[in-house]
Amino acid sequence: MFSAWNWVAHGLYLLLNIFFLEVSGGLVQSCGHIIPESPVLALGSNFTALCILNESCLDFGNIYANQIIWKIKNRVVPKEQYREINRTVSSVTFNDTSSLATPLTCNILADGQIEQNIYGITVTIGLPPEKPKNLSCIVHQVSKLTYPMTCTWNPGRHTFLDTHFRLKYRWPQENFPDCIPKDVNNSCTITDVQFFVNLEVWVEAANALGKAESDPLVLDPIEIVKPLSPHNLSVNSGILPTVLKLSWENRISAAVMKLKFNIRYRIIGDTNWMQVPPEDTASPRTSFSVQGLRPYTEYVFSIRCMKEDGVGYWSDWSEEKTGVTTEDKPTKGPPIWRIIDASRSPASWTVHLMWKALEPFEANGVILQYEVTVRAKSSLSSPPEKYSVNTTNLTLKLPNGTYEVTVIARNRVGASPPSVLLIPASNSKAPVKNVRTLPKDGKLWVGWTAPNSYVLKYVIEWCLVSNSSDCITEWQNEPGNVQGTYLKGDIKPFKCYLITVYPLYADGQGSGQSVKAYLQQDRPSKGPTVQTKKVGKAEAVLTWNHLTVDEQNGFIRSYTIFYKTIDGNETAVTVDPSKTEYTLSSLTSDTLYTVRMMAYTDEGGRSGPDFTFTTQKFGKGEIEAIVVPVCLAFLLIVLLGVLFCFNKRDLIKKHIWPIVPDPSKSNIAQWSPQVPAKHNFSSKDQMYPEGSFTDVSVVEIEADDKKSFSEQDLKPFDLLKKEKSTSEGHSSGIGGSSCMSSPRQSVSDSDEGEATQNTSSTVQYSTVVLNGYRDQTPVQVFSRSESTQPLLDSEERSEDHAGGGDSATQRQQYFKRNGGQDETNTDRPCFERTKQITPANEGDLVGFAQLQISGQSSQPLGIELEKNTQEAALSDVLQTSTEGQTVRPETVEGSPLSVDEMPKSYLPQTVRQGGYMPQ
Amino acid sequence: MAAADSPSAALRRRDLCSRGIRLAGKMRSDVIDLLDTYVERQGLDASASVVAVEGVPAAAAERWDKQTGTQRLLDNLAAYRAFRALLAQMLEEQREQLGEADAALGQALAAVLLQVSAFAYHLEELLRLESRGPPSEEGAGPPPLPHLGLFERKLRGLGVLRELAQWAVRSARDLRQLAKPGPGSSSAPSPAESP
Repeated sequence: MFSAWNWVAHGLYLLLNIFFLEVSGGLVQSCGHIIPESPVLALGSNFTALCILNESCLDFGNIYANQIIWKIKNRVVPKEQYREINRTVSSVTFNDTSSLATPLTCNILADGQIEQNIYGITVTIGLPPEKPKNLSCIVHQVSKLTYPMTCTWNPGRHTFLDTHFRLKYRWPQENFPDCIPKDVNNSCTITDVQFFVNLEVWVEAANALGKAESDPLVLDPIEIVKPLSPHNLSVNSGILPTVLKLSWENRISAAVMKLKFNIRYRIIGDTNWMQVPPEDTASPRTSFSVQGLRPYTEYVFSIRCMKEDGVGYWSDWSEEKTGVTTEDKPTKGPPIWRIIDASRSPASWTVHLMWKALEPFEANGVILQYEVTVRAKSSLSSPPEKYSVNTTNLTLKLPNGTYEVTVIARNRVGASPPSVLLIPASNSKAPVKNVRTLPKDGKLWVGWTAPNSYVLKYVIEWCLVSNSSDCITEWQNEPGNVQGTYLKGDIKPFKCYLITVYPLYADGQGSGQSVKAYLQQDRPSKGPTVQTKKVGKAEAVLTWNHLTVDEQNGFIRSYTIFYKTIDGNETAVTVDPSKTEYTLSSLTSDTLYTVRMMAYTDEGGRSGPDFTFTTQKFGKGEIEAIVVPVCLAFLLIVLLGVLFCFNKRDLIKKHIWPIVPDPSKSNIAQWSPQVPAKHNFSSKDQMYPEGSFTDVSVVEIEADDKKSFSEQDLKPFDLLKKEKSTSEGHSSGIGGSSCMSSPRQSVSDSDEGEATQNTSSTVQYSTVVLNGYRDQTPVQVFSRSESTQPLLDSEERSEDHAGGGDSATQRQQYFKRNGGQDETNTDRPCFERTKQITPANEGDLVGFAQLQISGQSSQPLGIELEKNTQEAALSDVLQTSTEGQTVRPETVEGSPLSVDEMPKSYLPQTVRQGGYMPQ
Repeated sequence: MAAADSPSAALRRRDLCSRGIRLAGKMRSDVIDLLDTYVERQGLDASASVVAVEGVPAAAAERWDKQTGTQRLLDNLAAYRAFRALLAQMLEEQREQLGEADAALGQALAAVLLQVSAFAYHLEELLRLESRGPPSEEGAGPPPLPHLGLFERKLRGLGVLRELAQWAVRSARDLRQLAKPGPGSSSAPSPAESP
């Protein structure tokens, strides 16, 4: 317990001793201190510090040197650098001070646990000053008697320490106070120096680590003077127009130094200075006359000075002063040219005379006026016309001819030499050749080949070719001995210039030779807009307009057309620049193409907008080649159909609106071969008033009774055939269903005159129809039949029978007469007849001719004749191949059915042919 | 005279003479300017005649042309040492009288004093080249100046400056005489060159 209290008391005591051990007079005494106190160390050197403990602390604090810990800032210095010199002194050594930092503290571990600070020092690390180098001095004159000297030097490396520089100077027998720089470390100014005595100057640099001195500079300050420039410069024009006199004041005493001068001058507005030869101004002076100047020109002057022997510095240039030389006569006449407008009248010209204002160095003053003299060469007797103008052009109306124009410029002093221009009646002299241009050094050079004759001078005309402005002519004269020149004007790049060269002779003028040129070319500002003129299946005609001159920016060397499909590669075609149309070929049909066009100058090309087009699906004439045959075929089919229908019109008619005979109008009494039908018509109407029936009989026929068609029965039928071949045209049938004979045989046709004549000796049935069938107009017709059989029920029945002739049990009804014969004839009769005609003799042909006459139309007959001819030929074949069956040729020919089916069609044929149906 | 015979010594002598002549010229120019300033600032009449000031060596010499170069140098050195002391006293008096109020006059006086001192250095160097060596300054200076009144001091200053201007002219001629090449550098100048 006692021990614990003892330790606590000891610790408190130690703390009190360490920090506030003894307060005496406000000072705090610590338990130790470090030697050296706040040292300044050279960077890189070694350093040893000692920490010395107070004896008093040893007794009360129980602390010793072996407990000391050295620290740099908060970093403990390795123990290897410690050395315990005795029980109260510990040292620490640093081989390189660069590892040092502030503060360096001496600490102690109290009771082996608590670290307490004993003392600390500030360590300053730096470098000793370097020897100042490159010391140089200059004496600036600031007033007539004040010559401060400024010396500068290189202070050397940074020392990291407070380093003081002093500029020291002295005479051999006298020292002067040091010059201490203010705010800088590399220069100092001595306010006043005395000349003609050598002054020794050097720089001393000093800091805590040492001091260094520069090499001394021994000089006489008069040798390093930069004097003030001369002032009060004045410029006065002299008597001569080429001389100006300068006067000035020097600001440095001649007793101090003798001066030499530089005088420079320039024309106002010019940037280049000219200088008076230095040897002319190498001696002290206060005035000088500058000669060789241009008359009536404003000059700017400036002057400077330095020590006469050239030792020292030039002063600054003085302020600039201007002066104007006096006027002189113009040195040359104004260049003159003309533009002749002969368009208004063939007999007279409008001559635009124009001349250039003289350059200032040529005018030598203010040009007051121009005197123009126009003298006609043809009439020497006439006095010359004189004009005084203030402008530089004059427009005259002159008759055609040769003129000599003279222009004189006049200023206050006098007149210029005359400029003469000969205007010949025609430019008949030799022109120049091979006019060419070449851009060079930002200017446009024009060259030509001179004609063989001596040329007085050349006139080069040029103008800017543009769509937006007129061609404003500019021109310049060139002497006759040159063959090329630069255009003296504002030649712009990317613009087209039309340049014309005229040779002027002493007695005439050559015609102008022109060339177009660019100072600088560029890509066209836009590309041509291409479009299609015509698009075909595999080709497209493209058209475009030439770019305007303003858009070209250069000579168009070529066009390139790029075209491609949507997913295809682009194809390029180069086109001559003179063309405005091109045909793309080998294109794919019905394809969308994108086409664009580039125009190229020497500097590159630029593309125009894209244009798309689609090639056609069919080529030219393809549609026609398809449509026309199709139409023709269609027409042919239609025609054939019409013909067919025409041929079959009876059948069609029968099917659609068959003519139903009106039995009520049948008048058998009148239907007599002896009584002309015509006579009976009127009476018939009277005898059979409408709606009354006279005599109707119905005959039923078993048409399928094949047995009834025996060979014997057919015999008389053959006879009938023969008879028919001669008299068929006279036969008639009810309803006009026979295609060949219906007009005449038809009741509706009512060719009763013929019907009457054609009445055969066979029994004839009459039919009277009161009411029309369907929409047909009811006709009371007296019809006759060649049939000797009683009338059947209806023609429809017979028709059915004819269509299904193979039905043995089908019954046919005839209405008064057997119309079924006629109906069966609708398909066959013609053929049957031709079958009969073809193998027959000429007598049969007569009958055929009669058929033609009896027909309403000959065309069907013709076609039928052709068919008949073919069928006749076929029948011949059949006849030869089926010998012994000649009885049935018509059966074979009359139906396209097989031979086995032939007999089925006998019945209607027989009925028709014979007009007799066995009962 | 061995030193004077060497080429470097001859060059040095010529250089000292040349710069001494120019220094004398500048000194004269500055002194004349200073005279104007001094008369103006001190309220004196520029035409006021001043009797010979005690302690101020006279530039005029009765047998100037008969003097040797060394004698000329010695006379010049004695005169400029005297001027140096007089000008230093004037500068002190001027500072006491005007304080820093008229810094320009003080600066001008200081500049002239420096030139006088520099010229004396030239003369000493030339005398060394003559193997003569400059005489000691002890006792060579002017006697202690008696206490004078303010106006008298002004007049004395005016006299000092005027005489200095005269000496500047004479010194330039003396040095030109010395600068002439040849063994007769220390011989008497021709009568034509006498002031």
